[in-house]
Amino acid sequence: MNGLPIAAALPATLSASSTERLATLFDAHNERLYRLARRMVATADDALDLVQETFLRAARAPRSIPTGFADEEAWLVRVLVNIQRDRWRKAAVRRRYDDDKVSLTVVQTDPEAALVAHAAVWSALDALPPRRRAVVVMHELEGLTVNDIASALRITAITVRWHLSRGRHDLARALKPFGVTDDEA
Amino acid sequence: MTKLRDMLAAADPLRHERQPAQARRDHLRNTIVTAASHAYPPLRRARYPMVVPVLVTFAAIVIGMVIIASIWPRNASLAQAAVRFEVRLAEDQPAPGLRAARVASSDRTVYLHPEIVVTNGDIARSRVIPGASPSQFGIDVQLNSAGAEKMRQATMSHLGKPVAILIDGNVVIAPTVKSAIGAAAVITGDYTQADAQRIAAGMTGAPR
Repeated sequence: MNGLPIAAALPATLSASSTERLATLFDAHNERLYRLARRMVATADDALDLVQETFLRAARAPRSIPTGFADEEAWLVRVLVNIQRDRWRKAAVRRRYDDDKVSLTVVQTDPEAALVAHAAVWSALDALPPRRRAVVVMHELEGLTVNDIASALRITAITVRWHLSRGRHDLARALKPFGVTDDEA
Repeated sequence: MTKLRDMLAAADPLRHERQPAQARRDHLRNTIVTAASHAYPPLRRARYPMVVPVLVTFAAIVIGMVIIASIWPRNASLAQAAVRFEVRLAEDQPAPGLRAARVASSDRTVYLHPEIVVTNGDIARSRVIPGASPSQFGIDVQLNSAGAEKMRQATMSHLGKPVAILIDGNVVIAPTVKSAIGAAAVITGDYTQADAQRIAAGMTGAPR
């Protein structure tokens, strides 16, 4: 949580029914959104912050939210991914200065080896554009089908497959020192 | 060979972390709902409707500039002074010119070389990562290209010997160099999340 003045980001008035709907939306979807958010960002706090921003976007545009559980969830997932895309683009300027980093890995003692590998995975995921990362996470970790992902993100199945292919390729290349192969290649 | 899917699953943070406590979720829910229900009340219709927003905006800008001007330098200096990070070559046996230092959370003693290989200014990025248990956290450190080169030069002739990572003068980990070390390192330890965040945030400033 970053302590931002949340109320300042909301419209001047929000009807009681909209407030109730926001609460209902939160109860129905916060766990699923947190799971996706946690796999999209570096820390649990960042994930909660992303979930909060997603629901605040919902509060600002209550009329845009479709009805029905699946459509609500898909809408919120798209908002979450788009917020992360915005943040990623803003961070791109800062990342440019880090591009000359050499990505070698210190070989630690055995207890640290797994952590080094995990850190390498997170770094590789961090390097993926958010939409590609979302596609990889939803397919590889959440087990969603290509069509499910296409429907949730409102992109074509071909685009989903393209993101999956590129994402797997980039990850496998980054994790090659750990003996990783792209099992779907 | 390891399958990509297996490695992603093994590194999945949801496998290593507890879900946020219900109290935290409740707090988040209340924050969102309360913010929504107590959003700015509608302004009374004024005779000159643009005057109030313009004045409020102007006042906000002035106040913001004053606050930023007064706080920014102080925060910057605090951040820079937060944590002193050093990497030094070390030995397992004492020798003239080396300083003995106990490795944190162990009975091991290493003997530090006087020269500092890299320090805070050589860090490109540091961040908190989950540790071996849900209550433990580590710090993933990425050196910039200059720092990575210094590490590589220093460690390529130090194979089979320890390299010590120091936080605020204390050796927190001293792994054995098995190949020349480049830009990345993971610091483990019995850190709380708050400690790890403080260290990670403090690392990217200048040394004290």
